[in-house]
Amino acid sequence: MVRRYLRTCYSSFTAHVFDIPPRFMVFLFLIVLLLLPMAELSPYYLSIIIQANVLAIFAVSWDLLVGRTGQISLGHAIFFGIGSYATALLFKYYGLPVWITIPIALLIGSLAAFLLGFPCLRVKGPYLALVTMAFPLIIGTILKWSPLIPIFGGEFGIRGLPAFFSFLPDPTPQVNYQRIAEYYLTLFLLFVSSVIIYKIAKSKTGIVLVSILDDELASKACGINVTKYKLMAFMISGLFGTLAGCVQTHLLHVANPPNFGLTLSFAPVIITFLGGIGTIYGPIVGAFIYLILDKYLLTDLLPKLCEYFNVTLPDEFEYAKLLIFTLIVIILVIKWPRGVAKFATDKLEDLEEARDLDERGPRIWKRYKRKEKN
Amino acid sequence: MLIEQIIIFGAISSGVYALLALGFTLIYGVSGVTNLAHGSFYMLGAYMFFVLSSFFDDLFGSGMVSTSILALILAVIFVGIVGILTYRIAIHPIVGDQVAVMVITVCLALVFQQSVLLIFGPTFPPVRWPEGSFLVISTAILGVTVQYSRILAFVVSLGLFSSLLVFITKTKIGKAMRAVSQDREVAMLMGINTERLYMLTMALSAMLAALASILITTSTSMSAGAWMWLYPLALSFSIVILGGLGSIKGSLVGGFIVGYAEQTVAIVVPEGGAIVGVVPLVIMVIVLLSRPKGLFGKRVELEE
Amino acid sequence: MMHLLQIENLTKRFGGLIAVNNVSFHIDEGEMVGIIGPNGAGKTTLFNLISGFLNPDSGTVKFKGGNIIGLATHKIVNNGIARTFQVVRPFRHLPVIANVMVALKSPRGARKIEWIKTFERKAVDMLEDVGLTELMLEPAENVGHGDLKRLEMARALATEPDLLMLDEPFGGLNPLETDFLMKSIQRVHLDHPTRGIIIVEHKLYALMQIVQRVIVLHQGEKIAEGTPEETAKNKKVIEVYMGKAM
Repeated sequence: MVRRYLRTCYSSFTAHVFDIPPRFMVFLFLIVLLLLPMAELSPYYLSIIIQANVLAIFAVSWDLLVGRTGQISLGHAIFFGIGSYATALLFKYYGLPVWITIPIALLIGSLAAFLLGFPCLRVKGPYLALVTMAFPLIIGTILKWSPLIPIFGGEFGIRGLPAFFSFLPDPTPQVNYQRIAEYYLTLFLLFVSSVIIYKIAKSKTGIVLVSILDDELASKACGINVTKYKLMAFMISGLFGTLAGCVQTHLLHVANPPNFGLTLSFAPVIITFLGGIGTIYGPIVGAFIYLILDKYLLTDLLPKLCEYFNVTLPDEFEYAKLLIFTLIVIILVIKWPRGVAKFATDKLEDLEEARDLDERGPRIWKRYKRKEKN
Repeated sequence: MLIEQIIIFGAISSGVYALLALGFTLIYGVSGVTNLAHGSFYMLGAYMFFVLSSFFDDLFGSGMVSTSILALILAVIFVGIVGILTYRIAIHPIVGDQVAVMVITVCLALVFQQSVLLIFGPTFPPVRWPEGSFLVISTAILGVTVQYSRILAFVVSLGLFSSLLVFITKTKIGKAMRAVSQDREVAMLMGINTERLYMLTMALSAMLAALASILITTSTSMSAGAWMWLYPLALSFSIVILGGLGSIKGSLVGGFIVGYAEQTVAIVVPEGGAIVGVVPLVIMVIVLLSRPKGLFGKRVELEE
Repeated sequence: MMHLLQIENLTKRFGGLIAVNNVSFHIDEGEMVGIIGPNGAGKTTLFNLISGFLNPDSGTVKFKGGNIIGLATHKIVNNGIARTFQVVRPFRHLPVIANVMVALKSPRGARKIEWIKTFERKAVDMLEDVGLTELMLEPAENVGHGDLKRLEMARALATEPDLLMLDEPFGGLNPLETDFLMKSIQRVHLDHPTRGIIIVEHKLYALMQIVQRVIVLHQGEKIAEGTPEETAKNKKVIEVYMGKAM
């Protein structure tokens, strides 16, 4: 009885403090995504969402490490790259199918996370950011070194990697079965990853991770083996980051140096800042905002609008895209340093919950005492 | 022969790298800002010099060293102004939040990169001293052929470095900078206008980056390019971490170590030129994992 | 006879400054001892040395007979020493109850949780001991200073330490809060007869009323030790606090 009360107050206070958005919004989002391919969306738009799903997995894994445990990582691309090249190399040299190479790649990624975690333990703040930033850049540069081209394929990378669903019939002009299957696969993986990370974040382990974020010293003073938890966070984050890399590689059929690149390292940073740092839905929302902004609004909608209004875009618009995009991000970060989606949910919660929260605590406590007396 | 090459070219790049790193460490020491767009100021310096030189060439005819020098000075000042504006618009609102600063400065770097692409296209304009001038003539030191432009770069960078050292230790503004870098609040209580100081430091930092850029590109066979901000950024980080965030003599010593390491790899390792970019990164990682505060670091991570 | 905590010739230097100079004393089970001294006497440094946040230059610290110098902080906590901080260090983003739960998640904190009691229930108990149950769902960053001090203590108590170390627990509290905290500490002391308590404090009137023994530090050295009454009359102590009589 008591436990049930405490569990409700536990989840509701985490709701207030830890930003679970109203449940129905999550459901709505899921339903929309699930039904999307039913609408006659061209494979092109589906591929945008597929990209978003993969990026979202990547960003969620990053957020666990950075937003929850406070270890600033500007080099998450290293896991992406490891996942990418691991599956590629396993295929290239051993011809193993996808469902074997990916689990092995995940193992390698987790091991790498464990090993990389050690040096990162003692380093904090901007120093940690720089160390993490350097790792993938170093590997990415060495990959392109001429003596190693036969193995890694240099600038071009390793090509010809198999698709997930090559057993499905080839695409017709109306329907691309493979694309649809990939869509649901990535959606499923995103769902599973988010749920797992969500469960971890809400558990008592998650609470300990936040304590490390808030005050590592005080956490140690509570008897917590901070090293153990940090390494754990690294490994879980690395695992899902690697997953994103593996999946992407088989979606695009190529593993190349940009998979270790700075752009990819910074993508989860920007995405999470857009969506809301330290939450689980934040990176997901951010990934969608990012991709819709970039691929849809700028690449698709704007040119169509210009066509409609008979305005011609200069050729240089290509470059202006990234420019506009980063400008928007700058403005957003200045206005809402904690993330757009989080700002929105904070506002929503202020309206509903904050008012009765002050009464909730004492109310539950009184009920608890009464039960005990009986 | 190899060793002499390493010694001479190492020395030259080191001096300029020290300037570049100094700019980075100054803005961090004084305002706590890790400016990931520092490389962008480097890039802008090269481009502005190119624009101004071409402009003066059209105006006054090419081949005159004096107009090139004028172009250099104007380009550096221009970048300084850009630095001030950048600080005021983009950094000032979030100057407390380290992570937000990094996000914003990296976005700024991308903005600059794309703007350059928009204006100049994906070309690589050469940045050079005028053809006929004495600066292009080579001489021999220790049996190595060196252009006068490189010697100039070396002399200028060391001269500027020492003047800045004097500036920081002896002048009022310099002392204000040191005060703010040690304790911002007390400095404010003493009547130092920190906001203005930050802007000044940013301008100085940007100008140093721009100058370093012009000195290097004019004396080597490098051209400008929209992505040229990445490597100088890595260099700045590496040198500053090695020397110690916030330490001026650290930038000098670090600059020399990194400069020489880079030259050694480029000359000794087969196909070294391609992976020379790894050198500053590896140095940085090694330093961060063994002695994060670097050689002369001031910010100590105190436990309590 | 084995003392709960035995410190011998403990010394710590920071550059040229000697913060703790050849300090020795011991604490037995069930004792409540106060450490006082003017500012800069080295009290907090001493705390840090005992709790593992600093390593001494020389000397020994023995807890329950075993040497604890060089042990990692969390291991020392799991051996049974818990401390609070002079400047409160709550976990800002976590609610009050979660702050306590972190301590309960440590190996030592978790060992006393039988299958009937959940973490939450135990955390509520701890909050009850210090009177913070009304605030249990409040994010720590919204909680006032006085309550945060009590939270510090609840967190330290959550690991059921054999030696509880309180660093200026009365700092910044008004007389009402001070009184309440004095009674809380006394109650905690009575409930656990084998537990030792060390309190560093400036507010002498509060401290002297609850401790059994007082150790006085001055410029890193121990200059006096005795009951509160003896210490109050000790000429050297008065001199150190008030200055030489005219």
